[in-house]
Amino acid sequence: MLVTKNVAELCVLLIRELYGQLPSRIFADLLGRGRSTVVQIAQHTSLNFRQVRHGIAVLIQLNLIYHNTDPESGIVNYEANSYAAYNLTRTGKILDMVRNKYGNHGYTLVHEVLVQGHAKISDLVKAFQVRRNEQHEGANGANGASQNGTSHNGHNHVNGNGVTNGTDDLDMVYKDEDFDIEAQAFDNLAQLIAAGILEPVTPMAYQSPQDIRSTVEQEFMADYPTGLRGSKQTSEFERNVRDKLREIQGESTRLKRKLELEFTYELGAKRRKLTNGAAANEFSGAKARSVLLEEFDTVLRVNYDKCMVELRNLRLKRYAEDLIGNITAQVYETLLAVLSKKIPRCQVDRSIEVEEDNDDAHTGPRVTTQEVFEQLSSAIDVSAGIGFPSEDTIDIRRAEKIRRYPPQLKGSTLHQELEEGEEIVGSDDEDYDHSGEAAANYGYHGQNGSDDVKMQTDDGLPVGAARLHQMRQHLLILAESKEGFVRHCGGRDFGEWTVDFEPLMQHLKFVELDTIIENRFGRHGLRLTRILREKGKIDDKTLPSLALMKKPDVHVKMAEMEMGGFLDVQEVPRDNNRTAARTIFFWFFDLDRTLQRTVDNTCKSMVRCLQRLDVERLKRKDVLATAERKDVRGNEETMLRGYAYTEYVQFIDVEKKLLGQVMRLDDIVAVFRDY
Amino acid sequence: MDDQTSILKSQLYDACQDACSNNPDKLFSQEDLMGLGVLPPKDVKKLLQIIQLLTKERLLAPVHFHNSLAWRLRSEADAAKYKQLTTEDQMLVYEIIDLAGAEGAWQQDIKKRLNLQDIALRKALKELESKRFIHQFTTVENATKKMWIKTGLQPSARATGGPWFTDQYLDEAFIDVLQSVVMRLIKEKGSYRSTGERSAARSVSPVLPKKGVIRGGMSEAAIKSKKRSVDAMSRDDAAAAAGPVSKFRGAVRIPLPAGYTDYPTTEDITASLVESQVAKGQPLKTEHVQELIDILVWENRIEEVRMGDQVGYRAVRISKQNPEYVKVDSEDFWEPRTNGLTTVPCGKCPVFELCEEGGPVWAGGCEYFDKWLA
Ligand code: SF4
Repeated sequence: MLVTKNVAELCVLLIRELYGQLPSRIFADLLGRGRSTVVQIAQHTSLNFRQVRHGIAVLIQLNLIYHNTDPESGIVNYEANSYAAYNLTRTGKILDMVRNKYGNHGYTLVHEVLVQGHAKISDLVKAFQVRRNEQHEGANGANGASQNGTSHNGHNHVNGNGVTNGTDDLDMVYKDEDFDIEAQAFDNLAQLIAAGILEPVTPMAYQSPQDIRSTVEQEFMADYPTGLRGSKQTSEFERNVRDKLREIQGESTRLKRKLELEFTYELGAKRRKLTNGAAANEFSGAKARSVLLEEFDTVLRVNYDKCMVELRNLRLKRYAEDLIGNITAQVYETLLAVLSKKIPRCQVDRSIEVEEDNDDAHTGPRVTTQEVFEQLSSAIDVSAGIGFPSEDTIDIRRAEKIRRYPPQLKGSTLHQELEEGEEIVGSDDEDYDHSGEAAANYGYHGQNGSDDVKMQTDDGLPVGAARLHQMRQHLLILAESKEGFVRHCGGRDFGEWTVDFEPLMQHLKFVELDTIIENRFGRHGLRLTRILREKGKIDDKTLPSLALMKKPDVHVKMAEMEMGGFLDVQEVPRDNNRTAARTIFFWFFDLDRTLQRTVDNTCKSMVRCLQRLDVERLKRKDVLATAERKDVRGNEETMLRGYAYTEYVQFIDVEKKLLGQVMRLDDIVAVFRDY
Repeated sequence: MDDQTSILKSQLYDACQDACSNNPDKLFSQEDLMGLGVLPPKDVKKLLQIIQLLTKERLLAPVHFHNSLAWRLRSEADAAKYKQLTTEDQMLVYEIIDLAGAEGAWQQDIKKRLNLQDIALRKALKELESKRFIHQFTTVENATKKMWIKTGLQPSARATGGPWFTDQYLDEAFIDVLQSVVMRLIKEKGSYRSTGERSAARSVSPVLPKKGVIRGGMSEAAIKSKKRSVDAMSRDDAAAAAGPVSKFRGAVRIPLPAGYTDYPTTEDITASLVESQVAKGQPLKTEHVQELIDILVWENRIEEVRMGDQVGYRAVRISKQNPEYVKVDSEDFWEPRTNGLTTVPCGKCPVFELCEEGGPVWAGGCEYFDKWLA
């Protein structure tokens, strides 16, 4: 995998920050030189074999490197997995997400897996028991979980450890209701596996995707001793390879599917009882537990792909909040949570899904209003957050318009504005969701309150109906947004919804880019780059009149932005003399390059933050050494005296600030590259 | 010249005058002139003869138009001016300036087209100027160009820069003011102002459960049994913590429902601007207002909304905007967006490219970080 210098530096720093010097040195070497054997590593790093082997073992355990054994010579090659290393930045975020979504127990388990790299189910259950006991004794929930001898606790500081203690009361409730700790562990594990946050480790996980692919390819090549002839054989071969790869990937989801089945079954049963399935995550663990008991020796690791999907959901929610409003964002969050049950990873794996599955893009995961509504938290006041204009200003048909096809990304680099979804079929006006008309009768703005009552008795709909239609209004706003947060793709069950992540993320990249540009070059700078993005290449005579700016001002700004790497200029001489006066300067905006550059700069900034953190640590190393002592830990305030304590607190502040900054920077990288 | 020809001549001129009464700049092609019905059809020879006469008398001015020749009518008063010109040079120069109309003619251009000596040209221009036939003016496109225009004509909008220019200078203050007004109009008409006390709005729909609305589609029986799932409770807390935090106390602006059809269009905005007379007596046309709107779009302040075949505009990030009227470049226009690169010192660092461990600047000893961490 090719990485830039800054990314490489970042990976190495992260490993050092979390797992120490030795693995990071080996990792740095692997990144720099590509695949190597133990002997080669030892030579390059001037470490002895024992050290190298030890370091490699750590890295393998943490899943940070791939290894591949040559079947003939038996020589083992190691290769750095920079993607996995980069993901270490997200540790804190993932833990936060898990805590919010799966509670403290989930947090404890995932934390354990993260620290260990991977862990057996049996060990996890044991570790969980230990932790819970510690917590109930020590009463200090989150701090208890952070003791691991690694410098991991840095992340816990960032995450603000006091927050979750409130849920401990709930644990007690669980207890009263006769759950023993082991059962809790199983329940939570089952839930995490079913959700895809944890996944079983397969041997394939230690091989790089290219290696797996070439092995599979070789296997199938054996069927064609004379090589591939003609397009028929080629496509057959490719299909075989693809199927096999998919099968390999499917292996790690086998357990997930099994558990999911149990969950659905349980849920179904519950739903029948409650008629409307209110409780989603609660289930009697017996079934799942028996499934897991059979898998006692299965080794689990964190499934970053899935975690990224969850993190993306959080991020999207924040965008919606920023661009539209708080309540709408909460509705969006609910929709995403339901939708992402069907999404295993953020970006489509091109090696497996290919064009021929293209139809999937249209029939991809979708959710119905009903499904979203069932998960809608009661705390969300969906009646708020949208204005109440007079009714005749609303065009229901337009609002309820169904778009069956995703918007097309316009190809060229310079013009990436999104067009309205091209409707190939069913573009006639009649293609809209009629459930909206019923909504009008309910009056989301409540102007015809009397009708409400009547309608309800007429249809015999439950009390929630008005609420459902109010929620739909938020979804419709999301669908109407320029960014395309959701697409209203069908009319079944009060409307079906989907999210076209690719174009949406494209929009959000622009949002971030614009934020950076506006912050650095002011609104005039933003204005100029936006003009270039929309119109393509423009000479420096036309620009001022379009931007309504003074010519010298434009030139100064443009030069500034060119220096910053946000713009490019092309010189076209009008004659052979190439004098400046006889040259036309065309400005343009190279999106791909700018994006890449921004990602790289972001990584560089992250590196700088971590470097600074090192320096700060060094500056206060005496105090920190004391604070690390077993007897001082947890009682810093009483044990460290006067000046030392202030300094310690100051350092914690600095650390918090720097690591928090790294996370924010990672947000940019994620949007630009990973989501 | 025989009588018949002179009659035809004045008849043709009159007919042309009628034909272009509502568009003095109308160009006549040969077919147009034939089509006026003054001359016997198909008699091209006669037509050309008469055109020649009129051109000579400067009542018709030949112009190149789409690779062919066409003629423009000149008023008798204007034509009379040519009679006062004494030299050939004066005549040629004046003709060019005359034809250039409101756009004016560039001295350099005149020189090139007539292939005149500099001295001769300047002499001719001077004589024309002293006769008060022409005068010099400057265009905003290039202040150093020597431009000439016929006396009595106002330089075109292109030359003056339209309403955005005051004495050839881009009036940025004026633009900013107008921009702010446009912004206000769009904000006002394209969003809903919520005063924070939504109780009024709420009470009109009495069937709505108010506080502590129960999750999803639970039946009433389920509500009564009030066994709420554990996670619903923890979610409540989260939601409460993440409640609306507006920098601007009191009122907030919230979006309008999907399908809203009353977002202001360019025409609406123009009408409001004209009505409110903010434009210091400058005539504002739709295209000028469109320019202002475009800029606001490019600055990510507003966005287009398609409403059927019309395009309206609404403010972006409406809930983060200051609900009141503020100037576009004011500090509390809205809560500015931030991200990692805007908050880290490296994001704006002037020596970013140089910064490296062991280099002239590095993170450990960098003053930007010192300041930031302080
Ligand atoms: S560490 Fe300091 S010198 Fe280096 S890029 Fe960041 S702000 Fe600039």
